[in-house]
Amino acid sequence: MQFKDYYQVLGVAREASADEIKKAYRRLARKYHPDVSKEPDAAARMSEVNEANAVLSDAERRAAYDAVGRGRQQGETFTPPPDWDAGFEFSGRGGGNGHDAGEFSDFFAELFGRMGGNPRRGARGGFEMPGEDHHAKIVLDLEDAWRGATRQVTLRSPRVDAEGHVTLESRTLDVKIPAGVKPGQLIRLAGQGGAGSGGAPSGDLFLEVQFKPHPRFTVDGVDIVAELPVAPWEAALGAVLPVELPDGSSLKVRLPAGAQSGRSLTVRGKGLPAPTPGNLELVVRVVLPSAHDPRARALYEQMASELADFDARAQARASS
Amino acid sequence: MTRTETLVQAMLDEALLSLDELCRAAAVEPEWVAQRVDEGLLPPPVAGGAVSAVWRFDAPALRRVRCMVRIERDFEAPAELAALVADLQDEIERLRLRLRRGGLD
Repeated sequence: MQFKDYYQVLGVAREASADEIKKAYRRLARKYHPDVSKEPDAAARMSEVNEANAVLSDAERRAAYDAVGRGRQQGETFTPPPDWDAGFEFSGRGGGNGHDAGEFSDFFAELFGRMGGNPRRGARGGFEMPGEDHHAKIVLDLEDAWRGATRQVTLRSPRVDAEGHVTLESRTLDVKIPAGVKPGQLIRLAGQGGAGSGGAPSGDLFLEVQFKPHPRFTVDGVDIVAELPVAPWEAALGAVLPVELPDGSSLKVRLPAGAQSGRSLTVRGKGLPAPTPGNLELVVRVVLPSAHDPRARALYEQMASELADFDARAQARASS
Repeated sequence: MTRTETLVQAMLDEALLSLDELCRAAAVEPEWVAQRVDEGLLPPPVAGGAVSAVWRFDAPALRRVRCMVRIERDFEAPAELAALVADLQDEIERLRLRLRRGGLD
């Protein structure tokens, strides 16, 4: 694997003090914060910065990293020598200081990944370490809420073999997600997390469900919202209109007369097929035929002259 | 590196985490959580009042805990400030949703 130069990531010298590292990290955490950053690769950079900080801000990890990384360059091919971490005492708290160490690189996982969980003395006096819980996101298409989906999740666990060497073991799960999931839903797969050692139980795998943005529908909890484009006469006189749903089916909606743009229609039970189904909300948008069409132009000019006393500004003020 | 493939069927029930499971997931101690529930910086757990053994936490609670842990650790921020950051992130998400609903994003 490739050596990662964490000092370079944070932009500090190898001799940097703990304070300098802290300041550098906070500056970058602000620069790449996912909610406010305008940088194009903010998420990836943030992950990189978090990983570097997880190592360099922890005295034990930094000491071990400095020892194993002496003379190494960013990108260089690298294998940690056996017993590279002999003599270093890592505290029980593993992972990335509250960050999702699942997003960290293989380099981190192989060097520091196994320092997780709370080791306990087992019945026979050997150390028992319960397996770690893993967390992963699962991204579905909106249509999958109706048809279910299968997704592959690849997890890495560091394993210590009989000779004490750490290797990265990778496991792929084919997860079948049934129909009826909601965005943000947490699905637990018991026992699919990290393996325990010394006979301790495996951890669990938690999947967080997310939906990809859809061109026509916006998901709001278990409700879905879409625009309903209508012709001016459909809005004014009322109409029955076809609406295509995410699962490919379609239904007919009655638009009452006198609708204006922005008006909402709610179709109960046609939102996400969750255990308590959500609603479909349709927001009316009046679309005008273009005056480039001479027939439309003639009609507009007729309306303009015969309805000359119609004042749209006054009407809008009155109805707001 | 070894690879194995396993077929797993997910169940639809929303996973609710016990206090222990929440602490493992977010790398915090139970007292950290209890204090912030007490002070109203974390929402009341789904089940159980004062008896932490029956507390249950849902996905939004886990997200909020992780957010607060990060702010407190990364910036040595007081819990109240971390709670404010979590509130602001909720509001940002709410506003983004409104933009998406209005086709304005």
